[in-house]
Amino acid sequence: AAQEASISFGLLSQDTSLPVNIKADSFSVNNADGSAQFSGNVLVGQGPMRLATSELRVEYAPDSRAIRKLIATGGVTLASGKDAAESHEADYTIDSGLVVMKGDVLLSQGPSVLSGDKLTINLKNGSGVMSGGVSTTFVPGGN
Amino acid sequence: CGFAPAYEKGGLTEGLFGTVRAADPDSKEAFAYVQRIEERLGRPERRLYDLDYTITTNSIGVGITSDNRTTRYNLEGRISYTLRNAAGEHLVTGTVQSFTAFSATGSTVAMLAAEEDARVRLMRILADQTVSRLMAELAVLYKQGRITAPVSAR
Amino acid sequence: QEQAAMVTDELQVTSGDDRLVAQGHVEILYQGYRLTATSVTYDRSDDSLVIAGPLSLTSADGSTVILASQAELSADMTQGILTSARIVLDQQLQMAAGSLSRIGGRYSAMNNVVASSCQICAAHPTPLWEIRARRVIHDEAAQMIWFDQAQFRIGGVPVFYIPRLRLPDAKQSRVSGFLAPSMRSTSLLGTGLKLPYFLTLGDDRDLTITPYLSTKRSQTVELRYRQAFRTGAIELEGALTSDDLTDHSRRGWFRGRGSFELPDDFRLAFNVIATSDNAYLLDYGYSDRDRLDSRVELSRVRRNGFFSLRLVSFQSLRDEDDNDTLPSLVTDMTFHRRFSLGPLGGMGGLRIQTHSHLRTSASPLDPDAPLGDGISDGRDVSRLSARVDWRRSFISDLGLETTLLGEAQFDVYRLHQDAAFEGSYTRATAAAGVELRWPLLKASSNGVAHVLEPVIQIVGALDDKSGIPNEDSVLVEFDEASLWNLDRFPGADAIEQSSRANIGLSWTRYDPAGWSSILTIGKVLRKHDRDGFGLASGLGGLNSDWLAAASFNFASGFTATTRAVIGEDLELTKGEMRLSLSQGRLFLASSALWAVADPSENRYQDSRELTFDAAWKVNPSLTTKAEGRYDFDGKRGTIAGLGIEYRNECVVVDLSLSRRLTTSDSVNPTTNFGLSVDLIGFGNGKTAGPARRCY
Repeated sequence: AAQEASISFGLLSQDTSLPVNIKADSFSVNNADGSAQFSGNVLVGQGPMRLATSELRVEYAPDSRAIRKLIATGGVTLASGKDAAESHEADYTIDSGLVVMKGDVLLSQGPSVLSGDKLTINLKNGSGVMSGGVSTTFVPGGN
Repeated sequence: CGFAPAYEKGGLTEGLFGTVRAADPDSKEAFAYVQRIEERLGRPERRLYDLDYTITTNSIGVGITSDNRTTRYNLEGRISYTLRNAAGEHLVTGTVQSFTAFSATGSTVAMLAAEEDARVRLMRILADQTVSRLMAELAVLYKQGRITAPVSAR
Repeated sequence: QEQAAMVTDELQVTSGDDRLVAQGHVEILYQGYRLTATSVTYDRSDDSLVIAGPLSLTSADGSTVILASQAELSADMTQGILTSARIVLDQQLQMAAGSLSRIGGRYSAMNNVVASSCQICAAHPTPLWEIRARRVIHDEAAQMIWFDQAQFRIGGVPVFYIPRLRLPDAKQSRVSGFLAPSMRSTSLLGTGLKLPYFLTLGDDRDLTITPYLSTKRSQTVELRYRQAFRTGAIELEGALTSDDLTDHSRRGWFRGRGSFELPDDFRLAFNVIATSDNAYLLDYGYSDRDRLDSRVELSRVRRNGFFSLRLVSFQSLRDEDDNDTLPSLVTDMTFHRRFSLGPLGGMGGLRIQTHSHLRTSASPLDPDAPLGDGISDGRDVSRLSARVDWRRSFISDLGLETTLLGEAQFDVYRLHQDAAFEGSYTRATAAAGVELRWPLLKASSNGVAHVLEPVIQIVGALDDKSGIPNEDSVLVEFDEASLWNLDRFPGADAIEQSSRANIGLSWTRYDPAGWSSILTIGKVLRKHDRDGFGLASGLGGLNSDWLAAASFNFASGFTATTRAVIGEDLELTKGEMRLSLSQGRLFLASSALWAVADPSENRYQDSRELTFDAAWKVNPSLTTKAEGRYDFDGKRGTIAGLGIEYRNECVVVDLSLSRRLTTSDSVNPTTNFGLSVDLIGFGNGKTAGPARRCY
């Protein structure tokens, strides 16, 4: 698979201020802390990024109704353009743009694949750190 | 005193005669060895066992006189053998060794004939030793009940 | 392209500058190469790896290992610089250098290098030997190492300096170049040095040239040429010498050996040897044989028969032998077939043989009669023989094996250049007999078994009135095989003609765990003796001497075989023994010989000799060797030798001292001293000894 020359290695970098829309089979609100629970084929979209999971808890900012944090459990798949990542669970803090995926993380970017226990992605600058028994493949002299 | 004829009817190694096929020879020594094995155990009309063997010989000058004449040679021989049954299982493996000798003091023709004869005699001695060891080792296996004794075809 | 696999504790990805930073137990596998390091930064824009050590780069088969503190390599690890690097070849040779540059995945170039395969201990870092060089290049593909401005040091002391040195690495088995030199000094030739040069002429041929110069004005060049063919191989070796030991201006020897597989199972083999004078082979340590026989043979061996056409020529190096009056050229053809005899049962054999031998002398007389061997100087003999044999065995219900056996032989002889026996002769003889063999068996389930086997043979034979002179059957031996032969004469000239009874008993004890033994006794009983066997054979007289043979072997590694022929007055006619012991660190082999004199065997003194050959492993690196041969009649040792071999992880030293006391007109006693030193780590096929421990 020829490597697309233009894509920089930056992961999933994107503008985190875009609106977030969520679809799910069912939805319930927890009035005590103001969080919402989506379950069943949950699909989250923000710009080109898609997050699919089976259970999603959404926390809102206390004053405004803006989403502060998304916590997905029960198997998560994150995709954006050519890059895709999956893990057991993940949480996405909107304003910091930090996504932390944990449990058999698998990140694939075009031909090369990264696996490890924990992946921290900073969506704002596209940098990321995979740790815990990391193994990957790369193509020397690929570009 | 515990001895019983090896070939008697119902004896332990009664079925050893006429059932052992030694592997094809590829040298004059091996030819003499196979000939003596067949002289002692008969030609394998009813082939139940295969006998594989490797032969190594070594000629050593002895009796070296003070005027540097080698008056005699010892011919050392060693044969490692393996007996397998029809299914190819290893029944018995072992090694026999001995030596024969020949003088080197007569004319060159006498020495040549003596050397050839010594080679054949060495192989016949090692073949006789192999037959005795096969009888002994197979008898132990039968006694330990590890293999059943084939009945002779007679 | 091929994927490179990477495993690490942590991997950082930063977008924009296209870099991967791996931290902690980093391992990269690519095209068989394995890199391990503490941290690696893979920069995809310029496809490079910046590596922080300690790092190791290992080739696919592990024969090249490079260790370094840090490095910058191309992503495919074929190119780049490693600093404070150490390269280890085939776990033996180590080369340390300030920096090592990898070029094209094949070359490793180093500056200011120290190379050695010796153990380097922290306490005393100078290795036993080392090569220091301004620049070293190791070519993995050609398996060669080039040293520039190399300095060889022993124990840190510079010994010699070579501007340009090329050595094979430990995987190289076939490359032209000098081999390890060796020193040989003898009392005859003084101190000499051998420096072999090996020249490959393609994959199938090579030539080794070894000049051997020694102080007492002896110059020799030894040559060895080898060539492999599709169906066989040849090896030609020899030497040319000019020295002033004899009046020969040119001395030397030649040997050609080879064998070829021909179609239809035929094989051609030759082994031809010749030397310029009687003492040459001994003076220069090439061989201690006193009679050289050259053979060319075409043969085929199959299950039921063999064919052999053979040419044998002799060169005797004994002073009292005159090569003109000894049969120097023998030609013989043998066709042997074995077959079953169908309705008649049992098995038969047919052997057709032609034989001829020539003496270069043409004199029909035997000038040194009666002392001579009774054969005219020029006698030439040619013979045609046909022999058939038959045997059939019957086994009774009681296990008694009765075997009928017989053989008949027809010979035609023609003798030339012999005043006494000129002319042709024919002979037809036969012998027949019955053999009763009753093997008795006793086996116990604890694994010990005994075989007791009494055998009686009654043989009748026809007289031999042919008057054929006996030349090839004078050396008769009495052992466990000839006890049962129908014709105990080794050659064809004489045929055993006395009717006789052979009796024998053999007892075999077999115990795989403990010791096993085979004892055999036998004797020949005759009504009247018409054979006239020689004194030393023990078969002469009305009844033969007693034959007693025994062989023992112990599971612990001790084996002994002994055979004695004892006269009826309990006088030892002939006794021989060979024993060997290999146990733990000791190896010992010894032989003894006792034989009465026998004029018919052309041996006018008793032979009494004892030999031993021992090696003792003092410790895993040091082995001491000793050998000796004592001739009781001469009342002194004829050969004595000592040897030491020291082998550790980086050097093999072989020291040998031997004294040969045999003297004759051409051979004089010599003392030989040999020393050879070989460095381990260059060229393969040298096994390293155990590494010394650091104290």
